[in-house]
Amino acid sequence: MPELPELNPVIHGKLRLALLSLLIGVEEAEFTWLRTKTGSTDGNLGAQLLKLEEAGYVTVEKKFVHRKPQTLYRMTEAGRQALTEYVQALKQLLGGAIGG
Amino acid sequence: MKADSEELGLKDRLSLIENMIAEGRRGTESWGWTFVLWGVAYYIAIAWSTWGFGWSIWGHTALAWPVTMISASVLTVVLATRKRGRQPSTTIGRAISALWITMGISMFILLFSLALSGKYDQQLFVAVIAAMLGTTNAASSMILKWSVQFACAVVWWLAAVASCFGTVTQSSIVFLVAIFICQIVFGSYAMFCEARRNKQGASHA
Repeated sequence: MPELPELNPVIHGKLRLALLSLLIGVEEAEFTWLRTKTGSTDGNLGAQLLKLEEAGYVTVEKKFVHRKPQTLYRMTEAGRQALTEYVQALKQLLGGAIGG
Repeated sequence: MKADSEELGLKDRLSLIENMIAEGRRGTESWGWTFVLWGVAYYIAIAWSTWGFGWSIWGHTALAWPVTMISASVLTVVLATRKRGRQPSTTIGRAISALWITMGISMFILLFSLALSGKYDQQLFVAVIAAMLGTTNAASSMILKWSVQFACAVVWWLAAVASCFGTVTQSSIVFLVAIFICQIVFGSYAMFCEARRNKQGASHA
């Protein structure tokens, strides 16, 4: 019997999964844009982004634009790789159920 | 039962990933207004250079194109910066911006040099502008996979050819028609598509 893959616990959280999926499509995104797209609260979003940052899946850059603070998030190569592997593991777990 | 719900959860995760990737890649930039703005700028430059307006700076028809083009460029940068606001940057967005900025610089340098060196020729002027706009529209349409924009590129190329073979009057008419179709009409259509897309995006969010 083939061994089933384990799902990466860092990515498995619904909001973290949504965040990585959003970030993979863009070069960088601002905190407020991520909040709008996920419909999350500031506190929860900040906490989940911190977990992703600690795992090395995203990088954060804080700067001022027109005197307003701006926090930009960018997906790292490790994050890209982790999400790809997560999707592959998901597909393997689902097996023939995909497309059904 | 547990297995079923686990499977559903996994499937949901896959569709969540797909939806979020689509949401992230959804064209967040809006470009339609720039086509309309530049279409109007071309009309102003043409009207100014053709008739002047008989008073003050407007009487200097030689200034028509450089002043209008520089004003339109500044306005585009200011409005684009404001509109871009807090949208994320995408590779495609950067590629399209780079394409239009480099085309604008090339066009400005070439036409300004032609005018300064006294080699200004109405038909050549229209042919160069039309060919450059055709190239940029075609490249942009290939990146965006947008056939409507490619049709605009074809219109510009046809205008370039027509300008080489037609009279000065015919060249001017062709240029005015191409501006109307490829800038005003296409720009308005693009704005309509963007508004519809944003509305759909908002209802899905």
